[in-house]
Amino acid sequence: MQPAAANTGPGWPASIFDPAGPYAGSITTLSWLLLAMAAGVFLVVLVALWVALFGKHRLQKRLGGTRTIWIGGIIFPVIVLSGLLVYGLSLTRNLAEPVPANAMRVRITGEMWWWRVAYLDARGQPVNIDANELHIPVGQPVVLELESSDVIHSFWVPQLSGKLDMIPGRRNILPIQADRPGTYGGQCAEYCGGPHALMGFVVIAHEPAQYHAIMAARRTPRQQVAGRGEQLFRSTGCAACHRIAGTDANGIAGPDLSHVGSRSSLGAGILPNNRGTLIGWIGDSQSIKPGNRMPAYKMLPAQDLAAIATYLEAQK
Amino acid sequence: MPQADPARGAQAIERVGCAACHQIPGIAWPQGASGPSLAGFADQGLIAGRLPNRPDVLTAFVRNAPATLPGTTMPAMPLTKEEARDVAAYLYATGSR
Amino acid sequence: MKSETGFDPALYDRFPTEGERPEGELEELERIWCAPKGWQLLAAVNNNYVGTFYVGTAFLFFVLAGILALVMRVQLALPLQGILPQETYNQFFTMHGTVMMFLFAVPMMEALGVLLLPQMLAARDLPFPRLSAYAFWAYFFGGLCFFASIFFGLAPNGGWFMYPPLTGMAYSPGINADFWLLGIGFIEISAIAGAIEIIVGVLRTRAPGMTLDKMPIYAWAMLVFAAMIVVGFPSIILGTLLLELERAFAWPFFDPTRGGDPMLWQHLFWFFGHPEVYIIFLPASGLVSMMVPTLARTKLVGQNLIVMAFLATGFISFGVWSHHMFTTGMPRLSIAFFSAASMAVSVPAGIQVFSWISTFAVGKPRFNTPTLFALGGLITFVIGGLTGVMVAMVPFDWQAHDSYFIVAHLHYVLIGGMVFPLFAALYYWIPMMSQRALSERLGKWVFWLMFVGMQVTFWPMHILGLMGMPRRVYTYLPGRDWDTINFISTLGAFTIGLGVLLFVIDLARNFRFTPDNDAGNVYGGGTLEWLPTGLYSTRSIPVVKSREPLWDDPDLAKNVEEGRYFLPNSATGLRETIVTSPLRAEPQYLQIMPGPSVWPLLAAIFTAGFFIIMTIQAYKFSFACGILAIVCVLRWLWDTDRLVKEETVDVGAGIRLPTYCTGPSSHGWWATMVLLTVVFMIFVMAMFSFVYLYGVHPRFWTAAADKWSLLAILPAYAAAAGLALLSRHMLAREKTEHWTPGVLFVLAVCALVAGIGIDFWSWLRSGLLPTTSGQGATVYGLLSLESILVFIAVLMAGYISARNGRALIVRPRNNSLDLCVLFTVYAALEGAVTAILTRLFPWV
Repeated sequence: MQPAAANTGPGWPASIFDPAGPYAGSITTLSWLLLAMAAGVFLVVLVALWVALFGKHRLQKRLGGTRTIWIGGIIFPVIVLSGLLVYGLSLTRNLAEPVPANAMRVRITGEMWWWRVAYLDARGQPVNIDANELHIPVGQPVVLELESSDVIHSFWVPQLSGKLDMIPGRRNILPIQADRPGTYGGQCAEYCGGPHALMGFVVIAHEPAQYHAIMAARRTPRQQVAGRGEQLFRSTGCAACHRIAGTDANGIAGPDLSHVGSRSSLGAGILPNNRGTLIGWIGDSQSIKPGNRMPAYKMLPAQDLAAIATYLEAQK
Repeated sequence: MPQADPARGAQAIERVGCAACHQIPGIAWPQGASGPSLAGFADQGLIAGRLPNRPDVLTAFVRNAPATLPGTTMPAMPLTKEEARDVAAYLYATGSR
Repeated sequence: MKSETGFDPALYDRFPTEGERPEGELEELERIWCAPKGWQLLAAVNNNYVGTFYVGTAFLFFVLAGILALVMRVQLALPLQGILPQETYNQFFTMHGTVMMFLFAVPMMEALGVLLLPQMLAARDLPFPRLSAYAFWAYFFGGLCFFASIFFGLAPNGGWFMYPPLTGMAYSPGINADFWLLGIGFIEISAIAGAIEIIVGVLRTRAPGMTLDKMPIYAWAMLVFAAMIVVGFPSIILGTLLLELERAFAWPFFDPTRGGDPMLWQHLFWFFGHPEVYIIFLPASGLVSMMVPTLARTKLVGQNLIVMAFLATGFISFGVWSHHMFTTGMPRLSIAFFSAASMAVSVPAGIQVFSWISTFAVGKPRFNTPTLFALGGLITFVIGGLTGVMVAMVPFDWQAHDSYFIVAHLHYVLIGGMVFPLFAALYYWIPMMSQRALSERLGKWVFWLMFVGMQVTFWPMHILGLMGMPRRVYTYLPGRDWDTINFISTLGAFTIGLGVLLFVIDLARNFRFTPDNDAGNVYGGGTLEWLPTGLYSTRSIPVVKSREPLWDDPDLAKNVEEGRYFLPNSATGLRETIVTSPLRAEPQYLQIMPGPSVWPLLAAIFTAGFFIIMTIQAYKFSFACGILAIVCVLRWLWDTDRLVKEETVDVGAGIRLPTYCTGPSSHGWWATMVLLTVVFMIFVMAMFSFVYLYGVHPRFWTAAADKWSLLAILPAYAAAAGLALLSRHMLAREKTEHWTPGVLFVLAVCALVAGIGIDFWSWLRSGLLPTTSGQGATVYGLLSLESILVFIAVLMAGYISARNGRALIVRPRNNSLDLCVLFTVYAALEGAVTAILTRLFPWV
């Protein structure tokens, strides 16, 4: 038997102690400070408890009395907490500072159990639609407009920032920034029913030139090949839920597939994107991510599944 | 099987995503169920219930199933001949059920 | 010396009395207080029985919810396990949280209160024994039915926090969510009933001379605990009501497309949900503060500071609810406030911890099982408190929130703050109820297994959270470096399970219930619960002169047992206890107590039936149960509030007390005031919802009822209040007809009905429907609350008429009429405020 190979969604592990940008970085600093504080205070309590139980009688005498409570239970915590509070609030202020008005904006909408991604232009109009994956340039803040179209979700990519909820009827603003290129995994953090555990997300940070090249390529209209895959995509009803830019497939219930061929993952950040997973997902996504909204297409013969996969792989 | 390497086979399985439809020992994720489980493949009498379970047949089948067994629900996979042999070796190496 | 009630404290010097007590007194006490035998024991209302049943049931739910947790840990031991399918796992974690919080933690704390408080205060029983029995049985039947839903796949699956819209009809069409909403309904009723009992019990049934500063610290903790339930639970009562209305009738309280807001639920839920943690922690802290002095063989250091800490905790905890919502995008100013308050709440906790440490330093601690559990709890709780300070830092919370870090944090707080103290308390107090104490040898094993298991289970979860693992996931993918840590955690969980199993074995081997032949004061405690007792509690009720009377007066137990204090006999031949004044505990009157009755049991069964059967939508059966429950409650009340032939009796040493008391000093008045506080808090939360939804979506605020209708509504309510008060006034006047007070009261209720009727009519005429918008939903929500009050008042009118007809409404003052008048006046006021607020807000 071979050892189990890790072949899961890209961008993991994603520890908050390995931040990739300033928003996550300052929280990491704070986390270390808090951990040190907690360890220090815990030690103080343990020593006091040790003395109380086993210490020298002289020390026990000094510990026994309301003075101990005043010092240990009131004065000491008030000083520590006030210091922390001042630091914490100043950090909150820095983190919540308005990002430059010309920062790139992306609207991410939580769906059961995937993410709708819309890159916005300066007027807030969507210029490019994608799903479950976000490309950003390194070294500059990106403003995420977080919304939800059904229940409450929470957007969390630990290496880029803290989490923020997506609440129906509201729009929350979350700035993120990556300072080094790479792939950063995340997962929905607010319980949203069913396969909440399998609602992942991927952020890919590129050097600015590469990022602009990707986006420019997406804007040039593609030559659509009218083949068997394209026919099947329409005749089996895929287009009722999925959109592919430049074709008459314009369903919006499911993820936009205009760029599915270039995605690093499938099934909302949980599968690598390759021919087998694409075929397997189309054929029976329920056996991989039970409860998701895409029906199984077990009735399609192998050649048809393969043809659809070929068609989708071409949607870069 | 001479010259075949089960370890390289595992990498190929991961790369093309066989596990999206099959449970394969040693492949943790995904564990699809639209195709049959491939655990204990060496002990199986037939491939897909119809073909004799021999290394050469299996090598051909994992690469281009429809050509080997017309009407099968298994699609062709983008594997080189060598990779297909490695995959077959891996499947035989996973031991009995 | 000052006096609160005019009672002369010099009279206390008559005790202990000299001379032998007459023969047969003790036998009479035993006869009067003896419990029914066989199956009829189910009708027992005495706190020794009800308290023990109650503790046992709560422990059963602890074990059941613990088993759910073990299965979940197996599922998470390795990535992509298939032990629990997704849907089942989602039901399991929802039930684990819900059962632990609602069916174990809060009931367990109330149960211990029912069991311990009368003994500690040397009262014969709690002031409303039948209410305790009702609270217990409603919880017992309702809780078991609720839990059984998991065996049918019908258990709720929306998380114990039940956030809409996920729990709304659109995303949870099954009846699973209704099980939660209705199932929690009766548990709330039960908790409120218990809180009323505890507040009145602590404030009015303490032994004479037990002034507030001589009161055992546990009674203080329970007082704050009960007060917090009274303030905090109404919020969740209203929340569940609104969500059920939205699910059943599509009133859009939480639907943003129609002027509702999902955040409203979060405010209502956490305004209850955060104080809930302290509601659980404070009584446990009270237990520890009782045990530590005994175990260390010295007085508690800083008792007054601890009392201050209890009060401060209770107060601050209502200002921190939003720290569960730091990631919802709240305004920065509120974030700063809630962050500061969340940190401040750790100061009172620090006071308690250092008080215990200091007490251990002064005394000579013995390392027996209760001591180990107390110390283990202290260490664990401190860790939980420190991680609590960490998550109070908002930026850190943005990372930690809803991750396994929080799972670790909350289990450290709750297990360290409540479960370990509970086990200490079980070892410590079981000798009071059992012929044998539990085994010290097994007990130490239980402790070390649970303590080590706890650390191994939950410490690694801190790391998991910081490595990005979210909560409430039924599985996780490999390759995220979570596998090993999860596996270790599962091993720890089974270690805890083994510890609990050993404890159950210890219980089975050594626990033998007995009210009078108990193992006694094995740890040498100094408070009154260690006096020799029977079902009647202590033979006579001592005069309390210090905090640890047994330590300060070595003869006390003997004198109490020989009947040399208050009430050495039954003065009236009935069950009775001395009601004392709230501050200085001066004897005021003798309360006649009800005996065993089957009606509270039946009322509880039908109450549980009403809620549970409503869940499965058999409405006719459900309403039949509701009506039967009302009938049973009325039947049980019918026997109460009777006069005995002696107007005053000798309660010992020639001190005479009245046997009937009305007005603001009576225990019934106090209980009614507490109940009205609950009702008022529900009303406050409803008004908050109304104003809040306007603040979020003013554009949905379109309709307005005719303001002139106030000219009819307000006079109707004024008439209701006035007529009710008049009926009470007329009862005192000998010259009036026998029927006058009853008729006046019925007229008052008629005026109430007119008030709410006109209010409804005027809103219906305005064209606004409850389904139209958030405005409609909240307006009709407020009207519905008032309708419930009016419905109760109508029942009261019938009840008062019936009693009046049987000449049970006695002159010049009668408690039944007094309390109904009080309720009616309140209902009129709430109705008037409802009418004004809904019409004149916003003020333009």
